[in-house]
Amino acid sequence: MKKQTEARVITFTSEAEMPMMPASMASTLYNKTGSWRYMRPLYVNKTPPCNAACPAGEDIVMYLQLTAQGRYAEAWETIVRENPFPGVCGRVCPHPCESECNREHLGGAIAIHCQERFLADYAAAHDLGLPMPDVPQRGEHVAVVGAGPAGLSCAYHLRRMGYQVTVFDAGDKPGGMMRLIPEYRLPKEVLEREIAAIVATGVEVKTGVRLGVDVSLDDLKDYAAVFLAVGQSRSRRLGVPGEEATGVLPGIDFLARVARGQRVGLGEKVAVIGGGNTAMDAARTARRLGADVTIFYRRSRAEMPAIDEEVNEALDEGVRIEFLRAPVAVLTENGHVRGLRLTEMELGAPDESGRRRPLPVAGSEYEVACDTVIPALGQVADLSFLDAEVKSERGRIITDEKAATTRPPIFAGGDVATGFGTVTAAVGSGKRAALAIDCFLRGVERTFPDLAQNVQAAPRPHDAAVVRFEDLNTAYFEEEPRPRQEQRPAAERVTTFEEVNLGYGEDAALAEAQRCFSCGTCNECDNCLIFCPDVAVLRGPSDDEPFVFNYDYCKGCGICVSECPRHAISFEEEVKFAET
Amino acid sequence: MRKPKTYARNYEIPEEELTYSGSVSCPGCGATLAMRYALKALGPKTMVVIPACCWSIIAGPFPYSSLTVPIFHTAFETAGAVSSGIRAALDILGKEDITVMAWAGDGGTFDIGIQALSAAVERNEDFIYVCYDNEAYMNTGIQRSSATPWMAWTTTTPVKHPKDEPKKDIMAIMAAHYIPYTATATIAYPDDMIAKFRKAKSIHGAKFIHVLSPCPPGWKSEASDSIKLSRLAVQSKVFPLYEIEHGEKVTINVWPKDGGVPVSEYLRLQGRFRHLSDENIAAIQAEVDRNWERLVAKAKGSVYTELV
Repeated sequence: MKKQTEARVITFTSEAEMPMMPASMASTLYNKTGSWRYMRPLYVNKTPPCNAACPAGEDIVMYLQLTAQGRYAEAWETIVRENPFPGVCGRVCPHPCESECNREHLGGAIAIHCQERFLADYAAAHDLGLPMPDVPQRGEHVAVVGAGPAGLSCAYHLRRMGYQVTVFDAGDKPGGMMRLIPEYRLPKEVLEREIAAIVATGVEVKTGVRLGVDVSLDDLKDYAAVFLAVGQSRSRRLGVPGEEATGVLPGIDFLARVARGQRVGLGEKVAVIGGGNTAMDAARTARRLGADVTIFYRRSRAEMPAIDEEVNEALDEGVRIEFLRAPVAVLTENGHVRGLRLTEMELGAPDESGRRRPLPVAGSEYEVACDTVIPALGQVADLSFLDAEVKSERGRIITDEKAATTRPPIFAGGDVATGFGTVTAAVGSGKRAALAIDCFLRGVERTFPDLAQNVQAAPRPHDAAVVRFEDLNTAYFEEEPRPRQEQRPAAERVTTFEEVNLGYGEDAALAEAQRCFSCGTCNECDNCLIFCPDVAVLRGPSDDEPFVFNYDYCKGCGICVSECPRHAISFEEEVKFAET
Repeated sequence: MRKPKTYARNYEIPEEELTYSGSVSCPGCGATLAMRYALKALGPKTMVVIPACCWSIIAGPFPYSSLTVPIFHTAFETAGAVSSGIRAALDILGKEDITVMAWAGDGGTFDIGIQALSAAVERNEDFIYVCYDNEAYMNTGIQRSSATPWMAWTTTTPVKHPKDEPKKDIMAIMAAHYIPYTATATIAYPDDMIAKFRKAKSIHGAKFIHVLSPCPPGWKSEASDSIKLSRLAVQSKVFPLYEIEHGEKVTINVWPKDGGVPVSEYLRLQGRFRHLSDENIAAIQAEVDRNWERLVAKAKGSVYTELV
């Protein structure tokens, strides 16, 4: 009997038609065992925890899987469909994705930031330009105010959708707060390259234009829509006597001057006030300029908002951190800083941020000598350009989930609206606004998830359910350690602004990508096909549909569901049994 | 057909399918999957001899077949004898490239067919005898066999009187015939299983492969757990994966990960063991550990050298 591909039913109408002995004449394909089934397996990709945690809405699992196959250019394209700053984010993002990674339980979270950085460096080395989708150009012109990560992300995504975009920025170069990130964390050429790539997509950038000074909101009313992403550019004040003395240099002003290559005289001893990333950047930069640096922070290490790795690196470089200390006064001599009067603090009841409120300890004041005081207590937005129609609250522009302000068609995003305070969050916020502006201009209704979650510009079909470690079949995974990222030794670091972290080479990146579980995302391991007793899993027609179930024969045993290592197969009650 | 990607898996499985969909095996049948792997390994030049067992039914009612290769259905006790006859006939026809595979359940191997099997391998007939072991007469309604494990429920060993005899050591019996190749295999390890069938095919003489085949209705387990149970049988050392060459050279093919898992993990997924007391489980664990240590000792002490 030749191999059969179609069901054939044999019917004997008389004994004479029957063979001499009971030999088979057709295959069992006549028997549609699919009718037995009361549960149905379905290929449904779920949301991996890293993707769910990414403030920029990157499809992390997809680019790790492409990297695992050595398809680096496609992997990079997968990132830049969502985020045009992989080189920046791969270096400075606090990577909340890694905190959620299910690999943590079997050898350590995937070093996603190193992967992102590797792909960005690969794209730079191979001179890859941002690929633009082939869409019809649209007549509407959108103004974006602020060329930081939110503004540039919005402009880029609007360009991808065919809109004309002009970005205004008060600075002399686009980049916003990204320009203040010290070179040892983010080399300037990485930033320049990614900004240039965005400009090359046809975004018009006008620098040296300050909203409220050089143009007003009303001047922008000829644009079809306006996106405000002016960020938070004003340093919070210390609020203690002596703050006006020379030698008190706000953190972002200090970083801006160093970034512009200006000489900054710090003296011997520098006191940095604050516990955030700006404080760390300022302290480590001052170290590199030869100063003896102490950070004073009013709470304890656990409450520090700075990225943990940054704090450790600062300590390695000889920065001292004094916890539970707050300044009471800046001590001056002839109008110049000579020291600080500090008070010890203790932690009281939790405040509205959920952290315990620091309270001064009575009678604990003391003095220290220093030549420069760098307050880095966070920034606030300068909202002086706003008119009465665009409402703000507690220093932030009020927006709805579609990034719209109280005065359409004016939209807002980034730190001026969200205050999230990271490049990656700003990129996500800008993208959300671009998608919302597109819907607004086309008159399309679309709902957006909560502001804390981020939308994807090019989502692939997936279920919103987030895959957790318990959902995986770990029989298929070994415990494998995370490869170490090479780092410049601390003693060498304090003498140079060369990059601290050296990233992954190709071998490490490839191995690390292959360590990814690919949670919720089919990566064609073939388990479903291998373990089906009934040959009811077939290879599918395309990469988008690698397998198909043959429901004519699938008996619904569920082996494929439980043996899928990554929870990419769902199991649902057959419709004929479901309650109607 | 699209070329499969293999970066997510470190072994190859032949793409060719030699079994059909539409067989009447129960959902989650381990024996059905075992046949699929066996034929992938052996290829289309194979003849299958099936005595009375589940597979007599799974292979299809007249005039249908669930295999693309020829099957000879035969009586319960005759798999060894019939395979010997088919081998002889093929040899006379000069068709020595065709592999003969007897495919029998544990009843047809451990109990009813053991005489014909012993005789055929004693003659070192050139064929592969496969016992797919689901640990009872499942096809006729879950009656105990000499392959049923100690304390397991079956319809003839009900919970009030569970089986009081240990499982027969069929591998030791077959090894005692000093045949060229004896091996265990199970469905959770397709790469190991396919490698063993290929190795068996390459060897001239009598080969015996003992395949543990989870049976959801008979073991009272979830159909979706069949692979998991097969894996746990190996990881708990209840069913170690090993091979014995020429009755002497013992090789353990899969070592349990991180020293293995307790037998309770394997037992608790099966309704047939639900009545076990903690003492019963401890006794099973002790027996499994003892058998494992003996197997490891055999593997370490193997001294077989090829005769010239």
